[in-house]
Parts: sequence; C-alpha cells; structure tokens
Amino acid sequence: MSTAREQIFSSVRAALTPLPERTPRPVFSKDVAEPKWLAAETDSLALFQKRAEATGTKCFTDMEACASWLRAQAVRVVYIPPPLTRLVALCSEFCEVTSEYSRARVNEIDAAFTPSAGAIAESGSIILSDGSTPDRLAALAPWHHIALVSRAEIHRTIADALAAMPADPNLIWVTGPSKTADVEGILIQGVHGPGAQACLIL
Amino acid sequence: MAEQKVELFARRLDHGIQKAVHSNSAAGTEKRYNVLGTDYSAPDDLRRLAGQIRQHSIEYLDTYLEQAEQSLKRQGAHVHFAVTAEDACRAVSDILKKAGAKKVVKSKSMISEEIYLNDHLGTMGIESVETDLGEYIIQIDGDHPSHIVKPIIHKNRRDIAKSFEREGLGDYNDDPETITRRARVFMRDKYLQADAGITGANFVSAESGRLVLVTNEGNSRFCLAAPKIHIALVGIEKVIPSDADLAVLLNLLGRSATGQQLTVYTEFINGPARTDRPSGPQEMHVIFVDNQRSQILASDCREILRCIRCGACLNVCPVYRQASGHAYRSVYPGPLGAVLSPLLAGKKFKELADLPKASSLCGACNEVCPVDIPIPDLLLRLRNRGHQEHAPSPGTPPMGAFAKLASSPLIWRFAMKSNKVMNLVPLEKLPLPYLQPWLKTRTLPAWRGGEFRSWMKSRHKK
Repeated sequence: MSTAREQIFSSVRAALTPLPERTPRPVFSKDVAEPKWLAAETDSLALFQKRAEATGTKCFTDMEACASWLRAQAVRVVYIPPPLTRLVALCSEFCEVTSEYSRARVNEIDAAFTPSAGAIAESGSIILSDGSTPDRLAALAPWHHIALVSRAEIHRTIADALAAMPADPNLIWVTGPSKTADVEGILIQGVHGPGAQACLIL
Repeated sequence: MAEQKVELFARRLDHGIQKAVHSNSAAGTEKRYNVLGTDYSAPDDLRRLAGQIRQHSIEYLDTYLEQAEQSLKRQGAHVHFAVTAEDACRAVSDILKKAGAKKVVKSKSMISEEIYLNDHLGTMGIESVETDLGEYIIQIDGDHPSHIVKPIIHKNRRDIAKSFEREGLGDYNDDPETITRRARVFMRDKYLQADAGITGANFVSAESGRLVLVTNEGNSRFCLAAPKIHIALVGIEKVIPSDADLAVLLNLLGRSATGQQLTVYTEFINGPARTDRPSGPQEMHVIFVDNQRSQILASDCREILRCIRCGACLNVCPVYRQASGHAYRSVYPGPLGAVLSPLLAGKKFKELADLPKASSLCGACNEVCPVDIPIPDLLLRLRNRGHQEHAPSPGTPPMGAFAKLASSPLIWRFAMKSNKVMNLVPLEKLPLPYLQPWLKTRTLPAWRGGEFRSWMKSRHKK
C-alpha cells in the first residue's frame, strides 16, 4: 500500500511543482451563499417551518396534532423512544407502541419518532446524529418518520450549522422525504427512506 | 463522407429517446436557472468563488490530500491508495475477502463506474447490488448510465416495466409509483442482508476528515445503516480545505444538479461506529483513487478536476440533448465528459480524441458550471492535442491542398483569378464530395477573387 501512496504523492508533487504560481485560498464571509430573501426572515422558527413545509416535511408543534395525523395515516406499529410518556399514551389509543427499535421488526414498524440534533431554518432541514438517534435505521426504514426538534437547536443558516457540527461519526441533514425522479423525470416520494417526513417541534 | 462518431450516433438515435433526453435536460436547465435567480442576485460571483475554492484545492492537492489522510486516520478510518482502476478494484475486493463479505450494496458512484467495479466483484463471486433506482435498472439491463445524475434518462417506463417483469419483481406494470415501491421492497432485503456498503464521496474535508455524501433517495444512508463495513471510493481530486467551504459548494451543487436548495440527504461521515455511538458500520475504509488524475493535474486541462459532478453542463449542451449520453462512448458524457473522458483514457487518448470536437463551442457549459470550468477552452486545448498526436479526425475536410495553395503567393494569385470559372459551374457539380452536404443548404456569392489585389495595385500607382 505504501508504494501506491508514494507513487500518487510523487505524481501530484511533480504535477504541481512546475506551476509558476498557485491559486490562493479565497477569503469569503460566512454568509456569502445566503439566499437574498434570508435577511427579511427574522424569526428562525417561522422560517424553519416555512422551508420545511416547502420541501415536503410536515411540521407539528403539538403532540395531539401529530398523533391524529398518524391515526389518519392508519399507522399500525410506532416506535417511540423513552421518556415520551404522553406521546405513548396518545398513540396507544390507535396503534401498537414499541419503545425498542428491533431490526427484526424493520418491515413492521411503519412509524418512528427519533430525537434530532437540531434543524436548519434556511433550508428546512432536520439534523440527525448517531448521538441523538439510537439506530440509523429507525429514522430511515419506516414510512413515517417524525424527528423531535428542540426550538433551541434551530440553526438559522446552513453556514451556522456547518460551523457548529458536533463530533459524531455521522451527521445527516434531512431535507424532505426520500425522493426520486429517475423514471421519466416524474417525482415519486418514499424510494428507500420515509415517504412521509415530519417533525415535532418541542 | 466520414462523420464524427457522436454525430453519427445522434442521427441513428431512436426518436423517442432523443425527445426524452431533450425535454428532461431542458427541464433541468430551467429548474437550475429559476432557483438560482430566485435565491441570488449575483449567482455568477458565487460560481466564480466556488471555482476558486476548487482550483485552490487541486493546486494544493499535495497538502490537502495528506491532511485528509491524517484526519481520516485520526477518526479510525483505514486509508488506502490506488494508482490504477485495477488497483482500486483489487483494494475493494481485498477488503471484502479479508472480512469474508459475500454481499455488497452500492450507492451511486461515478468512480465505481469508471473502474468497472461491479464486473470485477462479479468475477470474484461477490454479489454487488446497485441501490439507486436508476442505477439498479442500468445494472439489471446490463446497460450504462447516460447521464451522471439521471442515469436512465434514455429509458421510458415501459422499458423499465419489462425489465422488472423479467427480473421477477412482479407482473408488467409501468406505473412509476408501482415501479418505485417494488424497488423499495426488493432493496430492503438487500440492505439488511449485505455485509458491506460501498459509496463514493462528493467531498472530503481535509481539515475535519468529514466525507460528504448527497443523495435524494436515501440509498447511501441505507448502505451505511445496515451493513457493518463501509468502503468509500474517492477520486483524489475530491478533497477540499475545510467544512466552511461546503457552505458555498453544497449550496451550488443541489441547485445546479436538480434545482434543489439542498439535496434531500446530505450526510457527513466522520469515522466508523464508536462504543458510545454503535449504530453505523464498525469498519470504515477510504480508497483514494488516482486513475490518471495526477496526470490531468500535470496537463494544461487541470481545471476539469474542479468538477463536482452536478450534470448542469450535460443538461444545457445542445450536442448532448441531441446525441444522449451513450454517444460519448465513455463513463462521463456531455461537455464534462468530452474533456474528462479522453484524459482519463491515458494512453488510449486517441480513441476518444474525437469527443472534444463534438461541440459548437457555444460556451453554455461554462456559463452554467457551478465551479466555472472554462470547458470551451479545454476542448480547444484537447483538439490541439489530438492534432499533435495525429488522432483520426473524421468529418474534418482534408486541408492539405488548401495549405499548399495558401502558403504559395504565386499559385494563390493565379487561383484567385482563374477561379472565376466557378461562376459558370453549377455548385452541385463541384468535385468536392465533403463540401456537398454543406452546399446543399447554402448558396455562394459570385466569385470576385483577385479584384481586391487589382484595386490595391492601381491605388498605389496613383
């Protein structure tokens, strides 16, 4: 392996040495790629809700509304991690509730709540991390995924979120439900991941 | 008359395919234009900044590649290097063999197409399933992607329904939603049974060692959610200085590729699972692949290494829209491919030296490029290289006789005057077969050769 490594580094150096000068690292302000409409948006929570809805993520601010949506969706088995006892009580009225995400039941569990590591208002994205989500599959395999977003953890911009990334083996920004337009350019939701993406803002 | 291969392919292309490619590409261009216009007052400034970030990254690749390697190792990833495509394939299969892995799920990655990874794994007795819907259809059809973002832009729903029926995924049904649901069910089991997940990478941040992956379907996420080994194949040019640069690059990538502010799933991978974060793959391998990239870096076409694979130049290109991706006979089609593919071919450059000629040099590719690659300039440099290396050039009329004529003043003067006889000959009778198709749709003004010289001469006498 070390020979391949040396070979590549020496070819790269040989390619770069003859350059009379190299392009300097550009200096730019953190907000350089912010959309022009962002400045007018003063309330991050309202902006997050607007952007999330625009990309297909449903936003709930109270548990009752969220539970009745799941009831209307005819959900059968929902995963709710502890300690959300009130949510458990609400969902138990119409479906089975499990507090353990078992990989043996991947295809049975058709809705899951998982805590998030925050959100991004500018893009309406939910941030998931291994630290906040116990099993990556729980947030991905069920048709309905509801991320629990704390108001205090909403980043205003993409650049803010990039600057504040926690040390975690994996972070994922989820901006809407899983989608494809591979077949004749027609948009279909729920390819591999959730067909219905939602968040419950607490 | 000899014709350019791309032109010939376009002429023989099925009309339905041509229409589909054209309208889908045009829709992509429009979406990109709308979202950039809505969001930015000076998108070109942003493109130039992104171009500078990427140009800086590749011109300091020696520094950043080493830094990326150290950062990745620090997080517990294994880092490998592969000089050639064969080396890269072997690196993958060695890792899999060592782990006793038999089943692999793959997320869409152009570099795996470039090194023909699936063929290699097949010969090693390893099952490798493409999980991107389009790529999966390509795989079961034994086909090749014809667009780097929309791999099956050349297929319609009826083709796909037939393929699914043949593969036993259900009775014939060409409803796109049904097709997608069937793929979902099929893939679910593949993910859960797989020993390893193979992905590419859109960017690698040298400072943090974060590997960035974007997908809309969520398939790359699934490849990293169920299997216990993750292998990432990464071209050495994908390295960027830091996470902060992503604020510019990610904002342009989604908008340029599909007209989205951000792609649905933007994933930042920072090492294998830890005891307190047990969910992901326990082993993470990153294979940095050269496969001619260091040679491209040494060439006068190094700007092409800025490319972030958004596909905007394909969508906007009048030649791509007519010819479709397979006309380019290589993994990377369109304007990007017309530059990159002959360069990646290395010693076989001449075989693809016609690709840089499949362009009217209109410049639209440069105008939409999120990293502002001067593609028309690069095409000209490659045309020149093709000429220097005496690559065959079908469709170019022989210029030898004209060169002789134009470089000998005496013969030139004579020809100017004597050509007046042309005014008496009907154009369709001209014994120049390679000019005939051109003349069919054009008329020529009357020949007045030599008159300017006579005028000049008499003017001096006065």
